[in-house]
Amino acid sequence: MITAERKPMEEIIASVRPYNRILLVGCNECVTVCAAGGRKEVGILSSALQMAFMQEGKTLDIKELTLERQCDPEYVEELVTVIDQADAVLSMACGCGVQEVARRYKDKPVYPALNTKFMGASERQGVWAERCQGCGDCILGLTGGICPVARCSKRLLNGPCGGSTAGKCEISQDVDCVWQLIWDRMKALGIENRYEEVMMAKDWRSSRDGGPRKIIREDLV
Amino acid sequence: MSLKKRLSSKEFVVLAEMHTPKGVNISELVNNARRIKGRIDAVVIPDMDNGVMRMSALAGGVLMHQQGIEAVINVYCRDRNRMAIQGDILAAHVLGIQNLIVVKGEEIANCDHKDAKVVDDLNEIQILEVVNGLQNGTDMAGFDLTGAPEFTLGCTLGKFADQASLEKEIQAAKQKVDAGARFIITPPIFDIDYFLSAADKIKALNVPVIASVFLIKSVGIARYMAVTEPESRIGEDLIKRIRKSRDRENECLKIAGESMKALKGQVDGVLAVTLGWEHRLPTILDYAQL
Repeated sequence: MITAERKPMEEIIASVRPYNRILLVGCNECVTVCAAGGRKEVGILSSALQMAFMQEGKTLDIKELTLERQCDPEYVEELVTVIDQADAVLSMACGCGVQEVARRYKDKPVYPALNTKFMGASERQGVWAERCQGCGDCILGLTGGICPVARCSKRLLNGPCGGSTAGKCEISQDVDCVWQLIWDRMKALGIENRYEEVMMAKDWRSSRDGGPRKIIREDLV
Repeated sequence: MSLKKRLSSKEFVVLAEMHTPKGVNISELVNNARRIKGRIDAVVIPDMDNGVMRMSALAGGVLMHQQGIEAVINVYCRDRNRMAIQGDILAAHVLGIQNLIVVKGEEIANCDHKDAKVVDDLNEIQILEVVNGLQNGTDMAGFDLTGAPEFTLGCTLGKFADQASLEKEIQAAKQKVDAGARFIITPPIFDIDYFLSAADKIKALNVPVIASVFLIKSVGIARYMAVTEPESRIGEDLIKRIRKSRDRENECLKIAGESMKALKGQVDGVLAVTLGWEHRLPTILDYAQL
């Protein structure tokens, strides 16, 4: 899923300060799962904003709404009935959702309330970690299902480097050495002979380096 | 007289662009440069221009310096992050390079290593600011340097097809001048009258304006550019002139030389861009009477 974190309150307050009426829009998908921008977080942010503005002697009219998917035009269309009642939109979706609202409602200022972080997975309650960089040419089949592109600090395709100690990365004791994980997994699967295969320089065209990406499925268009 | 002094004393400057080799054989580069030594004020060394992996501009600039020719090297953002850019800029100073032009790198999709990872850590304005910081003795992280470099910094003006796009490009160039650029290189000028009609707006940036003159090498190239780059404003008259000439190659050199001559007195300098025909620069300079 796409993970996100709420921006600092001061930054959010500064972005909506010029407005009297805002539409605060959450999303029911990834940002709900990572507890950043779902219905609950919309309610909390709404209350926090109202309190902050009250302290400044100002009232802020906030309408709360949480869409099923803010990155989907079909659901973003639901805002059409309420958009005119707001001077600006404060979106609690990931960057995809913010942009979809901005694309659909061209004359309405849209501000992000979240910082979109990464594609990741939940490690345990309240902890999410990066798993995928969307490089567009998946090599997980070669690395025992563990991605060095997303999880090696140096993005090494032939690791480890000399900075791996006791299974931890040199940048922090909190970061696993992904090449240790890959080696352990390959051994467990009995495919450690594959470790010797040298991976060639990666073709980054399929990643963001090749320019903004698009998928066109002719069978669905 | 150094390029810096010529620019500040409003002397007309003549620059010529020369590419580093794709390999380590430097004889052609060095020989071509020696042929025009004394006739030009500095040689401009692009860095992986047109997206072709070549010997770095820094090495090319040092080779010029070794020949007693002042060098101007290009700096851009695509392949180096802020650490590498700063390191190379410090290296450039101690190796004798006195001038930099901050340019926009070619898109990786148009390069000869299309599968490379793009860096783009900084943009042109940010690089100019970084160089200023280094000149003031501080790196981008705020640490003090032991000895600060010194450069004459230049920037480029983007291509413009009409007055509206010129306004936009001038606005972008103004940001670069505000960030520390002390001279500006124009896109290749083919329609001199049109360029001169816009020149006042460029001169209003209050830094020396150096006009690029691009050597068209054939009718085919002229036609191709006229179609694919309408902002070049290559007209039918120019194409016809080359086509009707008995010695087309010489006519191309003559056109480039005449353009340089026509621009003298109108701008602060010219930059001859010959893309592989650097050995013909002496003839072009003859026609330009430079």
